[in-house]
Amino acid sequence: MSYCVNCGVELEASHTSCPLCNTPVLNPKQLSLTQSVPPFPKEKGQVEVVKRKDLAILLSVVLLSTAITCGLLNLLVYNESLWSLVIIGACVVIWVFMIPLVIYTKLPIYVSILFDGIVLAIYLFMITGLTTNNSWYFHIAMPIIMLLTFLAECMALLLRKFRASFLFTATISFAELAILCTGIELFINMHLSGNAYLTWSAIVLTICIIIVITLITMLSKKRLRNAVRRRLHF
Amino acid sequence: MTQKKKSIPEKSTRKDWYKLDLSAIVYPTLQRRDFSSVYRISVTLKEKINPDILQKAVDMTLKRFPTYKVAMRNGLFWRYLEPNNRPGPFVTPDIKNPCMPMPFKANNHYLIRIYYYEKRISFEAHHCLGDGTGGMCVLQTITATYLRLLGAAISNEYFVLDIDSEPSAEELEDAYMRYANAKVHPPRRCEKSYRIRGTKEPFYTLNIINGTLSASKTKEVAGKYGVTVTEYLNAVLLYALMQKQEQEWHLKPLPIKIAMPVNLRNFFPSITLRNFITMVYPCIDPRLGTYTFEEIITQVHNYMRYYINEKFLRGDITTNAATQRNSFIRVVPLFIKDFVVRKFYAAVQDRNSSAGLTNMGLCKVPEDMKPYIERFDIYMGQPFSKRTNCAIITFEDILTINFASSIIEADVERLFFRKLVQDGIPVKIASNRD
Repeated sequence: MSYCVNCGVELEASHTSCPLCNTPVLNPKQLSLTQSVPPFPKEKGQVEVVKRKDLAILLSVVLLSTAITCGLLNLLVYNESLWSLVIIGACVVIWVFMIPLVIYTKLPIYVSILFDGIVLAIYLFMITGLTTNNSWYFHIAMPIIMLLTFLAECMALLLRKFRASFLFTATISFAELAILCTGIELFINMHLSGNAYLTWSAIVLTICIIIVITLITMLSKKRLRNAVRRRLHF
Repeated sequence: MTQKKKSIPEKSTRKDWYKLDLSAIVYPTLQRRDFSSVYRISVTLKEKINPDILQKAVDMTLKRFPTYKVAMRNGLFWRYLEPNNRPGPFVTPDIKNPCMPMPFKANNHYLIRIYYYEKRISFEAHHCLGDGTGGMCVLQTITATYLRLLGAAISNEYFVLDIDSEPSAEELEDAYMRYANAKVHPPRRCEKSYRIRGTKEPFYTLNIINGTLSASKTKEVAGKYGVTVTEYLNAVLLYALMQKQEQEWHLKPLPIKIAMPVNLRNFFPSITLRNFITMVYPCIDPRLGTYTFEEIITQVHNYMRYYINEKFLRGDITTNAATQRNSFIRVVPLFIKDFVVRKFYAAVQDRNSSAGLTNMGLCKVPEDMKPYIERFDIYMGQPFSKRTNCAIITFEDILTINFASSIIEADVERLFFRKLVQDGIPVKIASNRD
């Protein structure tokens, strides 16, 4: 029978320290009696993983049947243009987007973002079949998708690598927003006029830079960071 | 709960599906990957548990409790419970982290779990099936069947139901709707209350601190203050939370409230095995000044006298029922209801209390079962947000207090038990912490 010298409570024989204050138990008369049965088991339980097999099958069947029926309709009835490519491509995009959610949940996030980027690029490439000129794809769509995928990968990496606090997430989001807007405008202007210059995205860039600098200052100063967290907690 | 004499109904009361009761509607909505509203009741016997016989007892007993042998299903507008005839539930060795999340499609869709450890049988149930009284009925009936299989003669009394009888309609009813008939819907005051600051434990960790007290000594001390044991322990918890808030830095102190479930069966006759509780919130407001312990005791005592009575509780459940009866709300699709309720709960309801405390009171068991039982324990389960929940139950002279929290620091528990020790109540502590 040992008591915590700090709390005054009697402690279960198997405890080597007080669960309330972590004060070690030092009872010279009971050194050999600590082999009693602990009040709780040592093994931790884990929640059984729920397989979303039914939803995955249903989703795959619906998307596959939509793609096939639209393809057949395009081939046999309304065959003036390859309009079914838009629907078939959309089905493929939805299916790939749903892979980490319902089909294979253990897929690493970086691979799944990469897959999403690739499938989006393929989808837009299929749409070029419906347009007379495909330069928009190589000069605008493809670079924007690549930039978007790169930024999403960076965001995933940073949020996983560092502690994803509210301020840190906001800093990355604003920084990436600035890069994305600048990139979009640069690609469009390069395609339309052949020159790289900024107009509206310069305003977004300026605002984002101010916000990011402010957030970085808050993050670097512990006192300031705590004050902001205290006042803005929700 | 005393089992009432009842004739076997001509028509079976078992149904193809069961509506969720008024309280149960909220619990599945709050379900997250790392959170389920699960509670645990344990009974410690005097002999080591035989898992094979326990499994047999579970199989024999659960047929008597159709609303516990169910699976959760989603409808377009509401969820419902459907009889579950899949194999199970199976008894398993106990684990270190009780009340872990209970996904609806895991565990063969069962919403209950039965564990054994040394001399202890533990029963865990999702709160959408029923409250502590219903769970206690299931656990005690399983225990009685188990003891009978070992050769003991146990009578069907109090929480032990006859496993060969058919469940009555009243056991399976949503008793709220029978008594939610006040002429007004009293408004509810919701106010942001103090929330414990602490470091969140990683997923799959639930810290338990168990205190064992002498029930007679606790009653004697509570009597000195002129209050009941529940009022006294409520006051001690408020006092501990007030001290904890004082130790932290706050721009201004916040009110300290305890969410305490009240068993409505004590006010409205019912033998339902489903949820039949409502919440009251004993509180103190440190913005008005620092309270002495005696002042907190008086505050809690007066609060209980004012709020816990048949009239007030009837008004409260009528207010609750009003939302479910509202024609517009009824036709809103389930996913929208889920979204709104989840947001409301996180923003308002969860912030309305600083900690939870439940006292199941003196646990009655049949006289012939008493010699086989050492003690009972109850655990409120994982809190929705960073805080601690306290659950109390008494058997004979053993009063057990179980704190369950998902934060590393045990400041509130320490302040709580120290106050009991200061008041002259010897406390024995056990924990699952490393």
